[in-house]
Amino acid sequence: MIQLTDIEKVYRTKTIETVALNRVNLQIERGEFVSIMGPSGCGKSTLLNIMGLLDEPTGGYVAIDGQPVKTHSDSKLAKLRNEKIGFVFQSYHLIHDLSVVDNVELPLLYRNVSASDRRKRALEALEKVGLSARTKHFPNQLSGGQRQRVAIARALAGNPEIILADEPTGNLDSVMGEEIMDILLRLNQEEGTTIVMVTHDENMALKTNRLIRFFDGQQVADSMVIEAQI
Amino acid sequence: MIRHLFKLIWNQKKSNFLLITEIFFSFLVLFAVLSFIIYNYHNYTQPLGFKYDRVWQLWLNPNTDSAAHNIAVQQQLIQRVRSFPEVEHASLANSNTPFAFSQMNNVLSYKSKKDVETDIFDVQDDYKNVLGMEVSRGRWFGPQDNGSLHDPIVINKKLQEELFGEEDPIGKLIPINDSTQYAVIGVVDHYRSYSEFDPEEGAYFHRINLEKDKNSIWNGLVIKVRPGAGVAFEEKMVRELSRIAKDWTIEVTTQEKMRQSKAKVTTVPMIAMSLVCGFLIINVALGLFGVLWYNINRRYSEIGLRRAIGASSKQIRNQFVGEVLVIATFGLLLGLLLAVQFPLLNVFQLSSFIYWESIGAAAFLIFLLAIVCAIYPSRQASKIFPAVALHEE
Repeated sequence: MIQLTDIEKVYRTKTIETVALNRVNLQIERGEFVSIMGPSGCGKSTLLNIMGLLDEPTGGYVAIDGQPVKTHSDSKLAKLRNEKIGFVFQSYHLIHDLSVVDNVELPLLYRNVSASDRRKRALEALEKVGLSARTKHFPNQLSGGQRQRVAIARALAGNPEIILADEPTGNLDSVMGEEIMDILLRLNQEEGTTIVMVTHDENMALKTNRLIRFFDGQQVADSMVIEAQI
Repeated sequence: MIRHLFKLIWNQKKSNFLLITEIFFSFLVLFAVLSFIIYNYHNYTQPLGFKYDRVWQLWLNPNTDSAAHNIAVQQQLIQRVRSFPEVEHASLANSNTPFAFSQMNNVLSYKSKKDVETDIFDVQDDYKNVLGMEVSRGRWFGPQDNGSLHDPIVINKKLQEELFGEEDPIGKLIPINDSTQYAVIGVVDHYRSYSEFDPEEGAYFHRINLEKDKNSIWNGLVIKVRPGAGVAFEEKMVRELSRIAKDWTIEVTTQEKMRQSKAKVTTVPMIAMSLVCGFLIINVALGLFGVLWYNINRRYSEIGLRRAIGASSKQIRNQFVGEVLVIATFGLLLGLLLAVQFPLLNVFQLSSFIYWESIGAAAFLIFLLAIVCAIYPSRQASKIFPAVALHEE
């Protein structure tokens, strides 16, 4: 589903050159729940951004469904992100001036979807994350866990094939973190959504199917979770 | 998307309140200035009803109280002026000649039309030729009016409509007092003599009959000179006239100079108002630009998010331009509530189309300003790299 081949990412300034990713090769299959772990600054988020077509690699190429995206225009990349990928961020990235349901509708704004259909799909997504009673609230009226659930609902509203989650439980206490993890697991198991999650939490990572470890911009381990536990 | 933008701006109304207020006031100021400009421009494009090229204005003011002597001098002056080969036509008139800072009014009544306000111009038979006026109905004054029973007058179309409506005005008698009646003998289409920027008022021309009006002195004398008559002729004429009217003050100017001087009465305030308005617009532009710039910096992560969930850079640019247009629309809607009262309540008795045109033009300028101010910051917003923006929070 997502194929990364010889991915390199180098940040250059006038005086310094930082290698964030060094020849990463990775294949994410449809329906997988992959967790990526590693110390801070090892390139996990950069990798997720490249997978999510938010950043361009310095070298190598990304293919989605077998199609390399290197030559895609800005609008074609935007369309791919909109239709295929859903994002969940550590800091939620909700728009504070919009209500919960309006936040969830956001991805559909960039598609030709009628207002009533948008609303219907947003409400369905909110129901999936158990926030039907909070549709008219504003983000600042919600707890951290609820905000993250709104962010997940927003990712779901577009009915994406892949969800890329960058430390989705990083800002939450363990109880709320578990709740969020349960939602992601349910999405993966019941709806077959492919999920790639960056996390620092070993316990969360062990709940996924596959664990990839990164160190200094390189993939140092890639194993199925059962094997990893053994 | 438009609905989304309206919702977003409405939810941000507190933070956008000042900007909306600024646009509201700018719209009102623009509306007022544009109404003034459009009103004057509209008047400017209307026919004057006369020609002022090669028309000179003489001011004749006796400095003695001897009426009989002054009237005799006046007769000699007009005869002498007409005798110059450089003079094609000449006519005595009151001081309210074209572009003069003088006005004379009267009220006329005809049947049910009571007290119609009108301008009055005392002129001689040659006045029409001096100013190249055209009579559209009936005729101008002539020697045949010397023995007429009633005072002949020529009216302009505006007065004709106000006084007679659809009726044929020719031959109609207008009572002035117990012993005098005016007889309408002709109609001119237009006569708009105060300024090129003034609207046309109802007007009538009353014939000066020197044989009959033996006690009156007219201060104005308008002459049409032949092509090429210049300063030399002016000096010669004044010298000779001063010889006839030794104790009179004689001043000469051209209608062109008078026109220019009268035009300044309108153009100077118009320019001043436009300058003030221009400064205001610059202020608003800077405000809009600043607020938008600030918004973009404040909303870095939102831009990143929107890019992540599927907005192209073009859509980001359009969104920020759209937001400014929505803010402008809110300001305009408030302004419109006030502005539309002017045509609806017929304030200042101006034609409603002037107000509607001004509303349209002011709204257009505000939107144009909003777009111009939004282009650069929006472009910058569209260039923000999503991966970078998402790590701003």
